[in-house]
Amino acid sequence: MAESSVDVLLKGGSGRSARGLLRIIILVTIAAAAVSSRLFSVIRFESIIHEFDPWFNFRATKYLVQNGFYEFWDWFDDRTWHPLGRVTGGTLYPGLMVTSGVIYHVLRFLTIPVDIRNICVLLAPGFSGLTALAMYLLTNEMSSSPSAGLLAAAFMGITPGYISRSVAGSYDNEAIAIFLLVFTFFLWIKAVKIGSIMWGALTALFYGYMVSAWGGYVFITNLIPLHVFVLLCMGRYSSRLYISYTTWYALGTLASMQIPFVGFLPIRNSDHMSALGVFGLLQLVAFAEFVRGFIPGKQFQRLLTASIILTSGLAFVGLVVLTMSGVIAPWSGRFYSLWDTGYAKIHIPIIASVSEHQPTAWPSFFFDLNFLIWLFPAGVYICFRDLKDEHVFVIIYAVLSSYFAGVMVRLMLTLTPIVCVAAALVLSYILDIYLKASPGPVTRGRSNEDPSDGLRSARNPEVGISSYFSKAVTTSALIVYLLMFVAHCTWVTSNAYSSPSVVLASRMPDGSQFIIDDYREAYYWLRQNTPANAKIMSWWDYGYQIGGMADRPTLVDNNTWNNTHIATVGKAMSSREEVSYPILRQHDVDYVLVVFGGLLGYSGDDINKFLWMVRIAEGIWPDEVKERDFFTPKGEYRVDDQATPTMRNSLMYKTSYYNFNKLFPMGQATDRVRGARLPAESPQLSTLEEAFTSENWIIRIYKVKDLDNFGRDHNSAVAFDRGNKRKKATKKKGARVLRSE
Amino acid sequence: MKLSTVIPSLLYIFPITFGASPDPGKFEQYYARSRLGPLQLDDSSYDDITAKPRDYYAAVILTAMEARFGCELCRDFQPEFDLIARSWNKGNKPDDTKLLFGTLDFNNGKSVFQKLMLQTAPVLLVFPPTTGPYARIDDSPLRFDFSGPISAEQVYAWINRNLPDGPKPQLVRPINYMRIVSGVTILMGVVTLFTVLSPYVLPVVRNRNIWAAFSLIAILLFTSGHMFNHIRKVPYVAGDGRGGISYFAGGFSNQFGMETQIIAAIYAVLSFSAIALAMKVPRIADNKSQQVAVVIWGAVLLGTYSFLLSVFRVKNGGYPFFLPPF
Repeated sequence: MAESSVDVLLKGGSGRSARGLLRIIILVTIAAAAVSSRLFSVIRFESIIHEFDPWFNFRATKYLVQNGFYEFWDWFDDRTWHPLGRVTGGTLYPGLMVTSGVIYHVLRFLTIPVDIRNICVLLAPGFSGLTALAMYLLTNEMSSSPSAGLLAAAFMGITPGYISRSVAGSYDNEAIAIFLLVFTFFLWIKAVKIGSIMWGALTALFYGYMVSAWGGYVFITNLIPLHVFVLLCMGRYSSRLYISYTTWYALGTLASMQIPFVGFLPIRNSDHMSALGVFGLLQLVAFAEFVRGFIPGKQFQRLLTASIILTSGLAFVGLVVLTMSGVIAPWSGRFYSLWDTGYAKIHIPIIASVSEHQPTAWPSFFFDLNFLIWLFPAGVYICFRDLKDEHVFVIIYAVLSSYFAGVMVRLMLTLTPIVCVAAALVLSYILDIYLKASPGPVTRGRSNEDPSDGLRSARNPEVGISSYFSKAVTTSALIVYLLMFVAHCTWVTSNAYSSPSVVLASRMPDGSQFIIDDYREAYYWLRQNTPANAKIMSWWDYGYQIGGMADRPTLVDNNTWNNTHIATVGKAMSSREEVSYPILRQHDVDYVLVVFGGLLGYSGDDINKFLWMVRIAEGIWPDEVKERDFFTPKGEYRVDDQATPTMRNSLMYKTSYYNFNKLFPMGQATDRVRGARLPAESPQLSTLEEAFTSENWIIRIYKVKDLDNFGRDHNSAVAFDRGNKRKKATKKKGARVLRSE
Repeated sequence: MKLSTVIPSLLYIFPITFGASPDPGKFEQYYARSRLGPLQLDDSSYDDITAKPRDYYAAVILTAMEARFGCELCRDFQPEFDLIARSWNKGNKPDDTKLLFGTLDFNNGKSVFQKLMLQTAPVLLVFPPTTGPYARIDDSPLRFDFSGPISAEQVYAWINRNLPDGPKPQLVRPINYMRIVSGVTILMGVVTLFTVLSPYVLPVVRNRNIWAAFSLIAILLFTSGHMFNHIRKVPYVAGDGRGGISYFAGGFSNQFGMETQIIAAIYAVLSFSAIALAMKVPRIADNKSQQVAVVIWGAVLLGTYSFLLSVFRVKNGGYPFFLPPF
């Protein structure tokens, strides 16, 4: 009989091992599903690095693999930020590159010949499988239900909120950081539960790894102290807490200081001060607990409590004074802008300009998390039922990260793990109740609970579900929702998150696929046709790609460490040629690269980003570049006949629309992004000449002209070439003097 | 802007008087009066202060402070301007950089406003000197246009850029002792109140239900896009162009205030049905009513989720999934 064989499997000693085996099989399947759902882009396009930042990481990894670890650590890159260069080894988070480097060398050692590019492309999917496992472990610590961990792992494996940053080819810090985040939290919970130095040290170890991998480590640095602080406020001090926190803090801080980019920040920066403060507070509380055992007097105990509060108050004031006097650096801009949401827009436009730093509208939440988003609050509510130490952690994490995710789109990534935990908690709870085959009362009633302390909804004893009908209805509904979740995730991943953005795909009217490969076309043109040290000026978004694909020095790139330099490029782009040309010459620029989507209707082009260039330049040269001048008197941002003279004379406008009208019949030139009819006359360029324009005009490259052989200025040289007569009016100024630069 | 019309009228106001030397005592006389803040000007003193020849800079703000003009910006900026004037007059500066600050309110200077043909306020004019080492050939005043709320630092930086190089006084914001004192008092009051009321307050603070409610409300608020409304200052609702109201903004990354409230309510209903199915229903002892409860909560869950999906299809055109009722 089938039933009896199932009984043999699931009962007694053999049942335990059978279930263990089943669990492993399920987890492996989940990991496989997590990996395979991230491979859309590899299957559709090819094994290629995506987007912008991954290109830098890829280039750095290649450098690491070729030159060894110590060279990498001391790497000074003179091919970016020309002429400044960048101390790359000291200003990056090396975790990602080192991880792929280690994998590469291990595979080589096992005589598996694999290209470093394929390791980089597949690193994120691989680690997402590990994230699912870490998620299983973390959720298992939260719940006694056997299914919670598995559900959480499955959610984490396929939820788009995480897939968005970890598809194959998205070789970014987040690829490994989310695994480390979840695993560090698991170790932390384990450490708090057991109170063992070993688990605390493991937490510190993985925290150190996390610090080496992603700037988002600050989230852990603040969340764990906050957890401890809340537990202290709840009067839940225990030696477990003391042991795990002090171990983590001491070792973790030392570990994090080994990363050159972090260095002494953990003791000098406000972002890290909460960890230090809680460390001190914990010592005081521990001391008080220790003394309390010896002194029975109630008065004295009160004195003790008061003195603790006083000491921590004094310490807090000291911290404030140190911050004011500048010994401790204030909050870093990026982190501070999370709290003061208007701050970045006024003071750091370069942060505000990045699209992933925008606030999140509600559809994004639903898009990335589907039905988990409404199971999430229910799961948090369930945590209030037991409210053990680890549940407090879930609640704090949930509230904080939902705030962060609301302020910044990219922080959806830190919200996703806790949403998966909470949703799995409530769903497994429901399934456990409604999937019990035997009707009648269940034995999980909690009558011994103190009714005044618990949740209102958990006061009566639990009796279970009596009718099969109720069970069938609820379970089938949940299964439908779960299946829809899977369909949703697959659809979102396939449609929204699997485009490499280096290669674009669109549909032709007949339904066939049309691949737009302009970026690579242009970058390879640069690689093949320009000298190896030709300096390319472009807006900073494309710096990493030019460095990675074209292998040419750039002025600015996505590592936006020098605002002035970026503003210089912004000024060159937004000024007249007469102003720009000296800037280009001073920075040895050989080629100017602009991205133009007007022909194809590609909206992520430079004219749409132009206002940010103007704003950033205005921040440094308020007298020379004015945002107001780029708007018509009616306050519109236009590119057609009505465009302001400043706009039409700017280098960016000229290079974007140069000769664009020749593609169209007379007077019909239309910009398909902004839906504007362009002037019949093409802008005239005198100091630049067109060098290359890609197939769909997305990338346009211009060569900066050398000084004129006859010492004329470029304007008159161009006029002479065109055969224009010199205008009489110029004679009034007297004899022309040869210009000398 | 109407700058082109302003300049001819200025020429009319100040008849060109080359060759005359400035009254040496004028600057000192005004300067002595402006120790505590900008000069309060009227029509005649404005003309006097800006008359040529002058060997000093004059920064004059033309403003409309009275409530009936409804100039929010004027009233917001005036203390900032006073701060600039005070900081300048008290601070150390090179002897030859002479700068006067003045305020001309519309009530005292109607004719000036008319002469300058000003339609908006506030406007900050900086008159460069016409004689002396820093005299400019083009002696028309520099004009600062206010396009929105602005701080003293920004305006002061602008003024400084138009002054000759050299050390300038720092902008000093006075410490608001009143605020510190009141802050400390309030803090102590709260602590005292808490100590006195602790037998009544502590049970509330320790109540799990309250904390649970707070956490859930916060989560629902944030996940329904409240922060987006806060940062982008989106409208609450908008008309649909046909006289009705459209509750849902078109486009994936766009939303209205009301829309987020609807979404938060939907999430709340869905969450509470899930909580009810998980915690309330299994605690109903009576079989019949339990079954009814399961069916009701299940139906609520299905209906609301289906509605949510239909709303989401409005926001995201190509979304293919749906559930039966909606």
